[in-house]
Amino acid sequence: MGVIDIMDAKGTSSLGNPNPNILTPHPSKSSVAIRFLRVLSLVRHTASSSPSSRACRIRRAACSCMAYSAGPRRAWSRALLRKLVRRRRKPPRRDLPRPAAIIRRRRPVGGDRLEVALRRVVPGGAGMEYCRLLEEAADYVKCLVMQVRLMQSIVDFESHVHSVNKRSEIDPGDRN
Amino acid sequence: MRGQKKTRRGEKDKLERARFVRKHSRAKAAFLTEAGRLKVGEYLERASSLSGFWVGALEWGKRSEVEDKVIILFLFLGQSKDKSFTVAVSEDPLPRLETSIDMNENKFVLNSHHDGGEWQFNTPAMSMVPLLPNAPSLAGGLMNQITRSSYLSTPMVEVFSPGQWNHHPTSSPNMALGESNFASTSSINSIPVGKPVAISPRGMLVSTEPRIFPTSLPHFPVDSAFVERAARFSCFGSGNFSGINFFGSSPAMAPSNNEGIGDQVQKDELLQVDHESFNGSTMKNQGDQNSQIGNGESRVVIFPEDGLEGNTGSTDAALNSSSSDRGVNKRRKTVPDIERDPVQGGRQSSSETTKENIENKQKVEQINSKQTEKNGKDNSEFVKEGYVHVRARRGQATNSHSLAERVRREKISERMKYLQELVPGCSKVTGKAVMLDEIINYVQSLQRQVEVSIMFLSMKLAAVNPQLDFGIEGLLAKNLLRAHGSSSSATGFSPEMIYPQAYPSQHNLVHTGISAMASHSDTFRRAISTQSTASGYKESPLQVQPMHIPWNEELITQMAYGANPSNPQNMDSKADDFAI
Repeated sequence: MGVIDIMDAKGTSSLGNPNPNILTPHPSKSSVAIRFLRVLSLVRHTASSSPSSRACRIRRAACSCMAYSAGPRRAWSRALLRKLVRRRRKPPRRDLPRPAAIIRRRRPVGGDRLEVALRRVVPGGAGMEYCRLLEEAADYVKCLVMQVRLMQSIVDFESHVHSVNKRSEIDPGDRN
Repeated sequence: MRGQKKTRRGEKDKLERARFVRKHSRAKAAFLTEAGRLKVGEYLERASSLSGFWVGALEWGKRSEVEDKVIILFLFLGQSKDKSFTVAVSEDPLPRLETSIDMNENKFVLNSHHDGGEWQFNTPAMSMVPLLPNAPSLAGGLMNQITRSSYLSTPMVEVFSPGQWNHHPTSSPNMALGESNFASTSSINSIPVGKPVAISPRGMLVSTEPRIFPTSLPHFPVDSAFVERAARFSCFGSGNFSGINFFGSSPAMAPSNNEGIGDQVQKDELLQVDHESFNGSTMKNQGDQNSQIGNGESRVVIFPEDGLEGNTGSTDAALNSSSSDRGVNKRRKTVPDIERDPVQGGRQSSSETTKENIENKQKVEQINSKQTEKNGKDNSEFVKEGYVHVRARRGQATNSHSLAERVRREKISERMKYLQELVPGCSKVTGKAVMLDEIINYVQSLQRQVEVSIMFLSMKLAAVNPQLDFGIEGLLAKNLLRAHGSSSSATGFSPEMIYPQAYPSQHNLVHTGISAMASHSDTFRRAISTQSTASGYKESPLQVQPMHIPWNEELITQMAYGANPSNPQNMDSKADDFAI
């Protein structure tokens, strides 16, 4: 029962996707976990003095992992990656063509307060139609949930490890 | 001439079809008058320049009182490989006509099945120019004659989109044998014609054509009903006109083809013989109908055959084809709908089908909406991209706009339901606004959770003892203790609670955080039952986040001041708290 199992156990419930849209198969939890852990180790090794920057890096790592795992077919993942790319000030990566978005039959109207709020929350939600927005929001929610579980399991693991280590250290320390 | 168009299909054909469609409306008017012959010629020339292959049939005459009499003359403009045109006019009573193609001699021979007569048309081996003017003149002549003839009812001008003839060069070897590829009793050979669709419903033609035309043209629509219908009409009632006019142009058609003239003469006789015999036969069979055929207005309708190829057998496939541009092609929608309608109508009597076809042509939009209704609502379930078919429910508006709106509304409601399932605790909530609100709150809370975890991890990384194995490999390799989501959130919750407590300097933070939690937790608990603990947890980061930076700095200062060995202890103590 590992981190992956934790997430898989909860992930199966979401596999029954009633969404009629052709969605890309949801990223497997293990792939996201592996990627994230690798990035974490990378961050750890490239130690920087300022923790905020490290936090930023971790945040970026988490977002990028999620976005990559979700696949470039999702609009929100692309938008997320774009944001990350801008931060790094690297040459922007090529977005995959979004024919559905390019052909804007309907201009996103910012009338509904809730709709506007949703657009703000979901990355890349500004340029989409309402239906598309809902789809992307659903997928984003799924990925977010997965990421949250992943990170919290890591935290738990860390805390558990630390507690174990601490106990192991204290005993000799006490003896000392 | 763009030779490559002959062999290229797909996009080029679509382009051509589109162009053809645009042009055909002009040509339609041109056909309506005799004077339009020249225009027709131009049109044909232009059209032929596009693709090279045209098949057309003239329709003129008036409808009878009883039923629509349609005499279909197929004006076949074929472009052979050497870029010359072949004009073949045939009436199409399938059971009666036997058409054979003698490719060896570059002739299309239409043989009346019963009569044994032959219509022969030469394929002038030379340029197309002479042919083009002939075609309209031929058509005009035919029109003239036919209008005068009492037999003629309503020949149709059907100009078929190019590209249908693409099979011609490929299928010529088949046709050269003059074999009848059809199981029909009548040994009818195939004429390399495009789809003579036009007014006659494509479905109608679907059943008829196979008998006439080679199966090598898979998309060629033939309709048995069409055949019967055509059989009833004696188009070349007075054989004179057809023979004369038809072949009147033929000498002009093949100026370079010397042999053509002789053949033409032969054809004349044959045609006349054909017509007479044919007329006799047809008259016998449809005596009363023929009487109803009379001179009528010359009504020529040109139906572009757009998008037919590939659609005949697979309308659903075309409809369900994943084209992400849902809203782009209404015409595309209409085509399969028209097809479907004709296919269904093809089984009816011919006259009725013609009526339907004409109606279809004229009322594409209405039929489109109705067809979409008939297509069934289940399609909307399956079609993810592409065209959605909606069934108009009883008592609901069948306006195309309202249909589209209803489709959209249903889509939105579907998505909302899905989101409702995703967001925990939203099953009881009804109404879009409340649901949206909950969704937004949930997403925001999730994001905050991620932020908190990131902060924690970063802190962990900062404080991590290089000796300590971060455990990445361990995470992957070992099996960790199974922790449920709630417990993880609880543990996540506790650090937040404890962190402020650990630092007396941050009592304010604690108070604010707790108060914030208390105030917000109510709303969250109401909404999100399963994450009640997490709700407070969510809110605390909201309050703590602005303090994150100073908080981290505090930590760092502490860590910096603290001795190194003490650091792990601090961390461990915190870890202990976490473990709680």
